Amino acid sequence: MKRPPIYFTPSPKVPHATLHTCANGTRLYTMHNSNQGVVRVSFIFRAGTSWQSVPFSASATVNTLSEGTERFSALEIAERLDFVGSYFDANIDRDWAVLTYCSLSKFAAETFEIAEQVILHPTFPERELEVYRTKRKEQLIVQRSKPDHLSRELFGRSLFGADHPYGVTSPAEAYDTLCRGDVEEFYRTHYTAEGCFAVLCGDITEEHIALTKAILEGLPNGPRCERTIPAPQPTLRATLKVEGAVQSCLKVGLPLFPRTHPDFVAMQMVATALGGYFGSRLMQNLRERNGYTYGAYAAMINLDRSGYFVMSADVASEYTEEAIGEIFREVERFCAEPMSEQELQMVKNIIFGDVMRIFDGPFGVADVAIENIQNGTDNDYTEKLLRQVADTTAEHLQAVAAKYLRPNHFITTIVGE
Amino acid sequence: MIDFKEHTLANGLKVLANYDDCSGMAAVNLLYAVGSADESPDRTGFAHLFEHLMFRGTATVPSYDTPVQEVCGENNAFTSADYTDFYLTMPKENFLTGLWLEADRMRGLNINAQTLEVEKSVVIEEFRQRYLNRPYGEQWHTIREMVYTTSPYRWPVIGLTPDHIREATLEEVRGFYDRFYVPSGAILSVSAGIEPERVFEAAESYFGHLPALPAPVRAEVQQEPLAGPVRRVIEAAVPADQITIAFLMERRTERGYYLCDLLTDLLAGGESARLFQHLVKQKQIFSAANAYITGEVGQGMLILTGQLCSGVSVEQAEEALYEELRLLAEEPIGEYELQKVKNKFEANITFGELNVMNKAMNLGFYSMLGDMALLNGEIDIYRSITAEEIASYVRTRLTPQRSATLIYRKTQQ
Repeated sequence: MKRPPIYFTPSPKVPHATLHTCANGTRLYTMHNSNQGVVRVSFIFRAGTSWQSVPFSASATVNTLSEGTERFSALEIAERLDFVGSYFDANIDRDWAVLTYCSLSKFAAETFEIAEQVILHPTFPERELEVYRTKRKEQLIVQRSKPDHLSRELFGRSLFGADHPYGVTSPAEAYDTLCRGDVEEFYRTHYTAEGCFAVLCGDITEEHIALTKAILEGLPNGPRCERTIPAPQPTLRATLKVEGAVQSCLKVGLPLFPRTHPDFVAMQMVATALGGYFGSRLMQNLRERNGYTYGAYAAMINLDRSGYFVMSADVASEYTEEAIGEIFREVERFCAEPMSEQELQMVKNIIFGDVMRIFDGPFGVADVAIENIQNGTDNDYTEKLLRQVADTTAEHLQAVAAKYLRPNHFITTIVGE
Repeated sequence: MIDFKEHTLANGLKVLANYDDCSGMAAVNLLYAVGSADESPDRTGFAHLFEHLMFRGTATVPSYDTPVQEVCGENNAFTSADYTDFYLTMPKENFLTGLWLEADRMRGLNINAQTLEVEKSVVIEEFRQRYLNRPYGEQWHTIREMVYTTSPYRWPVIGLTPDHIREATLEEVRGFYDRFYVPSGAILSVSAGIEPERVFEAAESYFGHLPALPAPVRAEVQQEPLAGPVRRVIEAAVPADQITIAFLMERRTERGYYLCDLLTDLLAGGESARLFQHLVKQKQIFSAANAYITGEVGQGMLILTGQLCSGVSVEQAEEALYEELRLLAEEPIGEYELQKVKNKFEANITFGELNVMNKAMNLGFYSMLGDMALLNGEIDIYRSITAEEIASYVRTRLTPQRSATLIYRKTQQ
């Protein structure tokens, strides 16, 4: 059969969010983007782990907000949400804490009633905190028996430094001394109107907007928090021995810059070419040609005040050094010659396709909006990104890669036998 | 609610189409009625290995992924015990490329000794990454062996051992392809802002010329009831003791399946569910506990599992799990709690139909089950379940005599 013609999608329009500014300065963004009877609201706070001074206090705060409020016990909160089939999700990264509620539109009022209590009136009961500490400590110990988890932690420490807010990992025993006061203090100083915004999307009504605004306007104007993000202190090679491991978890990369940097998009394209899709260079080399691994990946990771480039693969133990050699060779080759027009077009398609797919379903667009707002932009950014990707040349990517991907600056971590 | 139209080509290929213009994307799903349950006991892992080979190119398309990426598409696949599923999404203007690619590799696959060798080593690495290089990695091999004494559900999809994968020959691969990868063994489903009539026309023009080969003959998976209790203890360098209790349940289309699904939701569907509230939060016996069903088309398993808090004995933990079952058996659940799990199913079904990919997959799956009425009708089955029915099921079916229990004991390091 003849191949069907390729239709190229004209630069897609990214739907914009409507901004409502609340009386206390907090921002609510709304997107009416579904008629399927669902709504979702996310509350975003500058309360990620890099803001904490006591280990685990940031994650303990976001994870125990629902463990008891002035009006409801932990069980009542769980019961009420489960009864109407609503979802609650608490998410934390190094910079941000995000609380998300998702419900059928017909049960939005019941869901917002819980959100109001959880965000504005948590009580952090001692007993619930005790259970949380014990459970999380055990879970962390379980996590730390897994090579892939150990590899992520080791790479973070090696990239930024063992005490750096973006690299630090704390011993599980730090849960033993985490107290209620630490959590209350973190809540009081970081869950304030400063830096908070919400994104409401789906099949939304005026009533949903009013309910969300009421919650945002209940947030106190707290003190403006500061944190120090020092320069990274990398360790070039680190290994961690795991007895009996049949694979080595490899990570190779280096600290670079956040998404606001003018070369970020180009580096994102470099990462895509190296390991961002199935036909990428690392995947072709390590998996398809050599069969060393099930998968090899590369990415540019954005942090609020930094960013890094990383390549990773879990490879057969007996080929560890060969695989590292191939990873370095692929980078060298990338920097030595421009990619073909065909490969460049492929990288552009991959990025276009990824953005297009986010728009399948009402929540993806809201996720894009959240990320853009976190970075101080709006959904214009995504349109500009697509234009910039379309205009990039192979020579430019080669030059950018050669400028930043210096093998003698690479950090290599190995977890395995 | 998923609307659809159905059409069967002369060569036996079933086509289902759902119209949805919510996003500019099209989802194309191609399901083949073959899974690990169709393997011979000395070639386990073969269906999954073959799924990998489907990406190895044809005479017309040397690399499957390239044209997908050229139309801003994305694709993947998975293998289960009962079927193998290939799916892709792309901007809807390009959905013909999806059909062209799937039609091309349905009969034109180019398999040679070299691609087979590379794919074997990739799959062996997957085996290692998922089943050998992690704590509790062998648990599913062990549990299946205890529960499925007389059926091919005995081995996990990845296979019994990497040796079976290593030993696969080119002849076996070709035989498997001709037996199962035929129009009459496949279901094509599409969800997009495209009229069903156009989907059917396109299916005719891309798949219509493929030969009408005999439909694959598949044996129904049958498993004798468990003569238990069956127990096994593994001592290993795991981070915490763990207990897993497995019960054999009903087939996917039988009422018992829905009872078990609802039952496990009562136990573990959400924060307010019983196992989490009673055993994790109140009694602090487990650091994590779960209950779920494995969901095979034949007799699947109902699983109760948990990782123990340090200082808790395995006996105490096992007793606590059975205590939860006794509660369900002796005190019929109240109207409120039953309503809660039923609401949850309704919400989950709505959330699950928000994007085209899930809809296309559901169409293929229910068509394979052979009962399209279930696609939109399962919610009514869940609604009809009564408290007494659940209690009676637990009393008669979820007993130690019908269980297989796997215990991990942590070795001192």
